[in-house]
Amino acid sequence: MNTRRLKNLVANKLMLLTTVLSSLIVLIIAVTLFQRSTLILTTHSLSELLLSSSWHPWKGEFGFHPFIMGTLWVTALAMVLAIPPSLLMSIYLAEYAPTRVRGIIKPMIDLLAGIPSVVYGLWGVLLVVPLIRDYVAPLAGATTTGYTVLAGGVVLAIMVYPIIISISEEVIRAVPQQVREASMALGATKWQTVKHVVTRSAFPGIIAAVMLGFGRAFGETMAVLMVVGNVPLTPSSLFDPAYPLPALIANNYGEMMSIPLYDSALMLAALFLLLIVLVFSVVASILLVGIKRRLAVG
Amino acid sequence: MNKKFVLVALVVVVIASFVVYNYVSSTNELKGTITVSGAWALYPMMVKWAEEYQKIYPNVEIEVSAGGAGKGMTDALNRAVDIGMVSRGIYPEEIANGAFWVAVVKDAVVPTINKDNPVLEDVMAKGVSRSTFIGIYIYGNITTWGQVVGRPEITDAINVFTRSDSCGAAETWANYLGKKQEDLRGTGVYGDPGLVEAVRNDRSGIGYNNIGYAYETETRQQVDGIRVVPIDVNENGQIDTEEDFYNAKDKIVEAIGNGLYPSPPARNLHLVTKDKFTGLAKEFVKWILTDGQEYVEEAGYVSLPEDAINEQLEKLNG
Repeated sequence: MNTRRLKNLVANKLMLLTTVLSSLIVLIIAVTLFQRSTLILTTHSLSELLLSSSWHPWKGEFGFHPFIMGTLWVTALAMVLAIPPSLLMSIYLAEYAPTRVRGIIKPMIDLLAGIPSVVYGLWGVLLVVPLIRDYVAPLAGATTTGYTVLAGGVVLAIMVYPIIISISEEVIRAVPQQVREASMALGATKWQTVKHVVTRSAFPGIIAAVMLGFGRAFGETMAVLMVVGNVPLTPSSLFDPAYPLPALIANNYGEMMSIPLYDSALMLAALFLLLIVLVFSVVASILLVGIKRRLAVG
Repeated sequence: MNKKFVLVALVVVVIASFVVYNYVSSTNELKGTITVSGAWALYPMMVKWAEEYQKIYPNVEIEVSAGGAGKGMTDALNRAVDIGMVSRGIYPEEIANGAFWVAVVKDAVVPTINKDNPVLEDVMAKGVSRSTFIGIYIYGNITTWGQVVGRPEITDAINVFTRSDSCGAAETWANYLGKKQEDLRGTGVYGDPGLVEAVRNDRSGIGYNNIGYAYETETRQQVDGIRVVPIDVNENGQIDTEEDFYNAKDKIVEAIGNGLYPSPPARNLHLVTKDKFTGLAKEFVKWILTDGQEYVEEAGYVSLPEDAINEQLEKLNG
């Protein structure tokens, strides 16, 4: 009797401890980064760091604006390219596809998710970049080296979509069969059922899948860095090169960590990246709570 | 019977190896571990040196890791490693923190273009001068291949490529043009192989590479698909015979050695430590500067001239 209760208590507290500790890690990372970036924060004003476009570390000019904009451009493009096809695909796999087709396609998508990002990057350099330079850009009347926001977005979209498909397909399949049967019984077609009933109850889960995709897109470094051009100028079109924050850190950290101010600037870049992802997921969680509440009422 | 024989043989072998081991360790009294980290540019050379040194002194263990010049410098200044490898000049901030360095070997950065460049023949015959490179890489006022070779009717745009990662090669190239890496124009591509790939795929492209990546190690010819741009050192508008050494690796290595190829973009590669090299690390660096130089050429690098070696040895001992 007592040992049973004790076991329950121990299990409870142990799980609490691990949960608290692992959530503390985010805090520890943030504090460390903040501490390491104090040097640059004390010598430069925040508005200058955020709004200036002049990146000349050796002249003491650290403008992060092009990098922040580069991150947003590439991520936004990747999501625009990835979300619609991956949703259609996950609906197809969950609702329409025969078991055999699903059995073949699902493992292939999971395999895509497991490919190392440097492989995607190489593939981007060998295929996507020349394709954009020789065919896509001339169509749009632009001349470019091919190392562009577009190349980064395409490669990133391909990396993100297995994640979105995998999760949203599971979510859609988890919708109870009775819901579908009820809809069909009312005379709705399969498409009407999918559109009005299934996706509606799977919606919060699909949003969560998209969020996970965004998380990867923001932070993905190697593949993007290899195709995006890395020019520290704010992009103004899809055919401009961009320079996202993770690329800035990866490109310079090993070489520049012996120069204190430069090191500190790179730490600040990491902090910015963390904050962007944090703000984004907080906003998304709030939205998600709202959606769930509305669905429960409706 | 047979078993006994095997046993005896085994004992003999064990005893013999002990004797040999003791003999070897008493003749080669150097013992211990040397840790090395830093620049990618120096890594293959250092691995070769470490191998050879450990053959002579089997009780010395040398651990080499790469991770960039800044990492080598930071590790050395924090005494996390005995020797840091640095492929660029030493910055004042680092000297203030007690950086001590010796040059051990040279290599060079060379400009490269696509083998199907629209004005390839003109470029090969006339060369490209430093001021033209400055126009392309720094000011951006030279934008077509026609401008490069003085044939205004050719309007193919120059696609300028540079390294995205901070590196000794880019720093050296910028230094040749009188600037810093951050001032170089162009699309940033990651790593030496990435830059080769970018130029190979773009007939209007121009880039720059360490000679190790611009020439094949086995055939000692230029890498397929790219051509090394001859530099018009005396700016007379043509490549003279003494400026013509780009066809094969051995010729350019010789030109770097005797100074016909300008420096920069030829550069010294350094080993650094905090304050001074001491003990085993010092012995190793001394060996690198003396006997170690014989492996330099086969690893694809360029030896320092003799007076420079002596200067570095004096600095090491001083």
